[in-house]
Amino acid sequence: MSGWQETFFVALLIAAVSACSTQVSVRDPRIPDPLITAMPLSVGVRYPQSFDHFVHEEQVIGKEKWQIDLGASNKILFDKLFNAMFTDVTLIAESEDAATLGLDAIIEPSIDAFEFSVPEQSQTDSFAVWIRYRIKIFDRNGTQIANWPISAYGKSQTSTFGGDEALRRAAVLAMRDAAALIIMQMDKSTGISKLINNDNAMPTTAAPAVQQTAVEEQGDDAR
Amino acid sequence: MMLDKPAISYSYLLLRGSFLALISLSLGACVTASIERDRAGVTGLEEGEGVVIMAKSYHLGNETENKFINCVGAAIGRGRDGLRVVPNQEFVDALFPWFEPRTAPADTKGLPDLMMRPGVAEMIKEKGVRYVIWLDGTTDRVAGGGSMSCAAGPGGGGCFGFAWWTNDAKYEASVWDLAGLEDSGTVTADYTGTSFVPAIIVPIPLIARTQSKACKGLADQLKLFIIDEPKPI
Repeated sequence: MSGWQETFFVALLIAAVSACSTQVSVRDPRIPDPLITAMPLSVGVRYPQSFDHFVHEEQVIGKEKWQIDLGASNKILFDKLFNAMFTDVTLIAESEDAATLGLDAIIEPSIDAFEFSVPEQSQTDSFAVWIRYRIKIFDRNGTQIANWPISAYGKSQTSTFGGDEALRRAAVLAMRDAAALIIMQMDKSTGISKLINNDNAMPTTAAPAVQQTAVEEQGDDAR
Repeated sequence: MMLDKPAISYSYLLLRGSFLALISLSLGACVTASIERDRAGVTGLEEGEGVVIMAKSYHLGNETENKFINCVGAAIGRGRDGLRVVPNQEFVDALFPWFEPRTAPADTKGLPDLMMRPGVAEMIKEKGVRYVIWLDGTTDRVAGGGSMSCAAGPGGGGCFGFAWWTNDAKYEASVWDLAGLEDSGTVTADYTGTSFVPAIIVPIPLIARTQSKACKGLADQLKLFIIDEPKPI
């Protein structure tokens, strides 16, 4: 095979592969300032590494491959959210010992799962995104007091936005849905406000029962 | 040597196509409309007050097209009797997270609690929103048939056949008064239109613009519904 034939073949192969793959990126979900009153609570937030750069790849069976790059969107989302929800928020590094910081609570959000559906799968003209977050809350002694799963859902029509844009919009709507759910139910589901000025909290020998709230069905009902 | 002249020249086909197009434009496709108003309270707008158009939540299974929502918003704001329409996204962002699909009140019973939340009543006043119009419904293809086949060759191409379909646009607009915290009533629009595409070489689409007619009809009725106070008997 001559040089130009080889180049042509490689170019053709790249074109064929790229034609079967769609990339969508969300750099900033642009979550608005929540219209809420902050809880008088000093919290520390510890993000997992995946929040710095989250990428989800999925091959739709018999169809194209999708790559959704959320970048640091989750971090931006939770930063905005917790800064509105609590009066004092401190970012804690993974290696840092939070017990020395004198905080009322430590929050650890994470992503359990990311799923989406394209119009060919749902037989509609909409893209849908499901994100399952998990929020763990620890008291000042490092004892876990809550382990809360959150199912968020977003949907966007292709007729309004193009395919890529519709999926991007569905992802942003799912993040907004998560934010709304956390604002509405976090205290009820985790009891975080009970940690305010909890000066008497001392390390305990027996760990208290973790408050596990089954709220997964709240997102599942939207499916 | 003499070439045979084609039996039907292209200029003849073009002329015939244009003629059919003219006929089709004059005939158009028909749309039948039904609009009902159900008033539950007195309405009216003061200086500086406006409306916001919202889609009912997709968490509740609503599938109203964004295109339709934008169309109704634009149509309500248009004309001499146009109302002040606050952009939907601006309103939802300003009141985040209280009008998200998951959190928006499902009925007017939820309005007093919503207004009690810190900053909500003030923000609604700042935005000048007096009425929230909730749209629900879709445009669906309910029937269709016929067949059409097209072919192309070195000498030209063409289509032959007949296709038709019927679209049904059913929408309901619920009007909530944020000043009185009550349901002002509903306007429902049901438009049905059948489109035809006959083709004798050139396809002639006779498209019934069902959704856009439903949009204009609903918007006109909503303007009347909000501005016109019922006369005392």
